[in-house]
Amino acid sequence: MTVLGYLANGLVFSSIIVLGSIGLSLVYSIADFANFAHGDTMTIGAYTALVTFGAVGGLGGAVLGLPYGFFLALVVGIAVAAVVAVGTEKLIYEPLDVDSIGLLITSIGIAFIYRAVIQIRFGSGFTRFDIQPLRPIESLVPYGVRVTLHDVAIVGSAAVLVVGLHVLLQYTDLGRKMRAMADNPDLARVSGIRTKRVKLWTWVIGAGLAGAGGVFLGLFNQLSPRMGFNLLLVIFAAVILGGIGSVYGAMAGGFLIGMINQLTPFFSNVVEALPIAPNWLETVLENLISIEYANAIAFVIMVVVLLVRPNGIAGEGAT
Amino acid sequence: MSPNSMDLVDRRTLLKLTGGAGVGALAGCLSTTDDGEDGSDGSDGSDGSDGSDGENGTDGDDGSDDGGDSTDAYEIGMVDSQTGSLSAFGERNQRGVNLALQRVNEIGIDGRDLEIIVEDSESENQGGIAAAQKLVNQDGVPFLIGAVGSGVSLAIYESVVEGTDVVQLSQNSTGLNLTDFPGLLRMSPSGRSQSLALSNLITDDGYDEVAITYVNNDYGQSLTDAFVDAYDGEVVYNSPHDQEQQSYSGVISEMNSSGADAWLFITYQAEFATMVNEVYSSGYEAQFYGADSVSGDNVLENTPEGSIDGMKIVVPSAPIEEENYQSFASDFEEEYGRQPTSWAAYAYDCAINAALAIQAADEFTGAALQETVRRVSGPEGEEATSFEAASQILADGGGPDDVDYQGVSGPIDFDENGDPVGFLQVLEVQDHAYEGIDFIEG
Repeated sequence: MTVLGYLANGLVFSSIIVLGSIGLSLVYSIADFANFAHGDTMTIGAYTALVTFGAVGGLGGAVLGLPYGFFLALVVGIAVAAVVAVGTEKLIYEPLDVDSIGLLITSIGIAFIYRAVIQIRFGSGFTRFDIQPLRPIESLVPYGVRVTLHDVAIVGSAAVLVVGLHVLLQYTDLGRKMRAMADNPDLARVSGIRTKRVKLWTWVIGAGLAGAGGVFLGLFNQLSPRMGFNLLLVIFAAVILGGIGSVYGAMAGGFLIGMINQLTPFFSNVVEALPIAPNWLETVLENLISIEYANAIAFVIMVVVLLVRPNGIAGEGAT
Repeated sequence: MSPNSMDLVDRRTLLKLTGGAGVGALAGCLSTTDDGEDGSDGSDGSDGSDGSDGENGTDGDDGSDDGGDSTDAYEIGMVDSQTGSLSAFGERNQRGVNLALQRVNEIGIDGRDLEIIVEDSESENQGGIAAAQKLVNQDGVPFLIGAVGSGVSLAIYESVVEGTDVVQLSQNSTGLNLTDFPGLLRMSPSGRSQSLALSNLITDDGYDEVAITYVNNDYGQSLTDAFVDAYDGEVVYNSPHDQEQQSYSGVISEMNSSGADAWLFITYQAEFATMVNEVYSSGYEAQFYGADSVSGDNVLENTPEGSIDGMKIVVPSAPIEEENYQSFASDFEEEYGRQPTSWAAYAYDCAINAALAIQAADEFTGAALQETVRRVSGPEGEEATSFEAASQILADGGGPDDVDYQGVSGPIDFDENGDPVGFLQVLEVQDHAYEGIDFIEG
């Protein structure tokens, strides 16, 4: 496989991580706690889409190998993930009068509840969307790029969502309020911003993006009750790498972590090909830079970046 | 009365002394580093007082002494996974064992019934040890069937059975390391036989290069090591992968660039399904092979139609074409309204083998059963395919070597390591369904 091929794989995987990490960072910056239920919010989105798609079917036509019904299911998945998150905020996080550590622990409990509910309904096994899997796009194979139309759809949809969020943050009233609140909640409040309402919108956007990420993760791989939770660690790494609290940082961090994860085989090829000076160093590197340590390598790079830039790529609080 | 109470006092002092010694031993080993085994020895110390109190060991003798005139049932023990992560196996075992008890008690062992005291291991080492301790020390059983998980079987052997003359026969453990404990018998074939079968299969299919990926745990590692040892060709790619990852495209692309045409997967169903989908969407082609843990209906349901056609999988299996298995299966279906699994067949054979060992032994003690348990199903003697036939040979004055019980799960024939001759089935995926194409004796 060529570099291009690995980059293409990385791009697809990154898209999913980016969708997950934006929401996590957004909620951190405005609700001010690390939401461990975020991964399971993704799972909720995925399973909602599964049920919706099963109910509405293909709806006739298809675009990029995906039936129209799937896009409807995607929208429903996003909506339900957002509703569940807002409901949880209203019912649990808001009435709880605890500090951010208390909320963090609560969110771990919430994560278990989400997952248990899904397990009760769907069992603990895995399943897939009822969509015919595709072969790689023929015209790209000579370049070593082996992606399917579904992968293109994932990257495209993620790009639309990310650009949409950028427009929302930079050019709308809500976006300005959100940025103001992330900078300084007290000041925002005395200037007349209804912070509670902004906070709710943050949950809607963050959880909605997570729901979308979950649906794409299900399309990319498979659905299982632990799917979101298993990805959560990587998403946290992405968010911290980007600078926690920063949306653009989360995008960059998610992109980098996803890329590194998928590029590991390429790195190991490079190390094998390079004439590294002392032989022992080459042996050590060849043993360490291998596919089984893909996540560990991503985390080492994260630590190195944090040593150079302690607040992450995008610094702090620059929503 | 008074001699009795004297006795009691004596016993109490003895108990104190041995208990003290036990504590001493424990305290002694606290300062040493290898408290693993010694620690349990320490608690054995207080058990020792048990021994002195009970002459429990001889209690067992008592049982067989009055065996001549008593019609009490022979009691043996079984540690099973009735709850916990392996409870599905426990249910299968119970069905098999209950059916076996029916067969045995229709005829009886020298006029007496066989009774199995079942204790729950909770599918955990600690629960298994507690259950085995209860059975061996309180109930005084000389024969212990147990357990399901390989770790649990080993834990029971090392902390309860080893050093006594109790016979332990595991019903479902397939872990490779059980082979290193000849005193621990098992009815289900070792995973090693699977690795050997896979290596023969791949060689016979004419592949002299293979790429392997295995799940990064004890199971995957040990099966892979055994495969690499056995395989004559070249292993051009051999790499572990973690469970529950969201993407294995790196592993897949490396396997592809290794140039091998035969790919071997030793992993679990969810991971394998992910890999198959990635192979499919990357457009790679190879001949797949797999261990039994990659087969399952959930794999077929979640992979594209035709994507794994031609794949070959080796699974432990009862010899389902043999007549005795078929009669077992029809009895089973009549009783429970479903097809038996291999795991039920293993448990069934455990109980039958135990019953025959008891019948062939001179007395109902662990030492005597150790003598007969391997021989009643060993390769010498006249083949018998049911308890009735085998029991008849013994009743006609035959010794343990005159009978060769052929189990419903296979010929049994324990080797010197306590492993049975494994019976394996080769499955091939045809039209996106598993078809049995061959049987192999391990």
